[in-house]
Amino acid sequence: MPHSLATPSSVNHSAANRLKLIDAALLCIARTGASKVTIDDIAGEVQCSRATVYRTFPGGKEAIFAAALETEVARFYSTLAVSMGRAGDLSELVVSMVTVASAYLLNHETLNAMQLSEPELVMSRLRFGQMDETLASAAAFAQPFFARWLEPERAGRSAEIVVRLILSYLTDPSSDLNLEDEAAVRPFVDQFLIPGMVASSTSQPLQQPSTTTRKKGRSTT
Amino acid sequence: MANSPDQRRALIEATYACIAKWGPRRTSLEDAAKAAGVSRATLYRYFPGGRDELFEAVVAFEYDRFFERLLQAVQGAKTLETVMEQGLAYAHRAIVEHEVLHLVLSTEPELLESTFAQKGVTTRTLIGEFLLPYLELHELREGVRPADAADYLARMVLSYMGAAGRWDLSDPAQVRVLVRDELLGGIAA
Repeated sequence: MPHSLATPSSVNHSAANRLKLIDAALLCIARTGASKVTIDDIAGEVQCSRATVYRTFPGGKEAIFAAALETEVARFYSTLAVSMGRAGDLSELVVSMVTVASAYLLNHETLNAMQLSEPELVMSRLRFGQMDETLASAAAFAQPFFARWLEPERAGRSAEIVVRLILSYLTDPSSDLNLEDEAAVRPFVDQFLIPGMVASSTSQPLQQPSTTTRKKGRSTT
Repeated sequence: MANSPDQRRALIEATYACIAKWGPRRTSLEDAAKAAGVSRATLYRYFPGGRDELFEAVVAFEYDRFFERLLQAVQGAKTLETVMEQGLAYAHRAIVEHEVLHLVLSTEPELLESTFAQKGVTTRTLIGEFLLPYLELHELREGVRPADAADYLARMVLSYMGAAGRWDLSDPAQVRVLVRDELLGGIAA
């Protein structure tokens, strides 16, 4: 049936339609880059009419792209949450966050295509002076996982530094450290990151002078 | 007539002054030429690519000048801890107070794009090389290789310069915690 999206709409159908169109848009972007994608391309991909696309997304291409971004961010975070939720200690948590996030982003076809066709769209959220939002939202996502082992303020700071690490290597890759490689990431994390997260403050604590929680943080020596 | 580096620099500085005054969008090639006291033709001789090439040269010039000043600002630091603290505090203040940078970020951030893409890796290497002797002089935790630590710290310095995140880098007490606990916790013995 060519007009698979033209079935009478119910809540379920419209949600499914939205997702089909979003996935079609992502596929189209992966092929040609975002700027070249047309509503006809997306409609052709799911074999529906332009009218059906506009019925689901009255805002057209921009609305589909915004929804696609939102959906992809949600997918990314839920993939991360699954593996971060399984961590048995702080070191495992950081290693899984770094490796899973890096692997996901580095192998994301749509993102990779956009980095070639319209790099400024991707990089503008990650570069100097413009990454505050990305940093804040990613750290806010990760903080509760860190709070299993660290007091809240420190959990937030620790989540943030891991996001910084991932962003640094994504935008400026290193030949020495492959962030997808767990065996390479683990010693790096244990050496450079964990001690700073669990350090019993050599200087004054920032706000609440609470004692450092170090419940399960793995010793690195 | 051969192009002279001095005149090139004068053209860049004049353009910079125009951007500071009017913002990048309202600065034309004519404005820049007029401010430098030269003709459009002369300006084109130095920057055949026109406005794009001229503005890129301005950004690159200011970028280099920023890091020169940063290195000067930490020249007196004796230890790894103080060089990091002074460097982060200086860089943060300089960025916050850099009106032209904010003008560009809020109007034509894409102007920064090519400079950052071209210079990012070099800058990381530069900061790493600057920090290396401090690491070599410092007692380090077991297993820490100075070169690895230098690269890690250079990445983090750039990251905190680009976005302060949860930290107030104008507060020396916070900078101290950031540097001594968070960044050097796994490095300094």
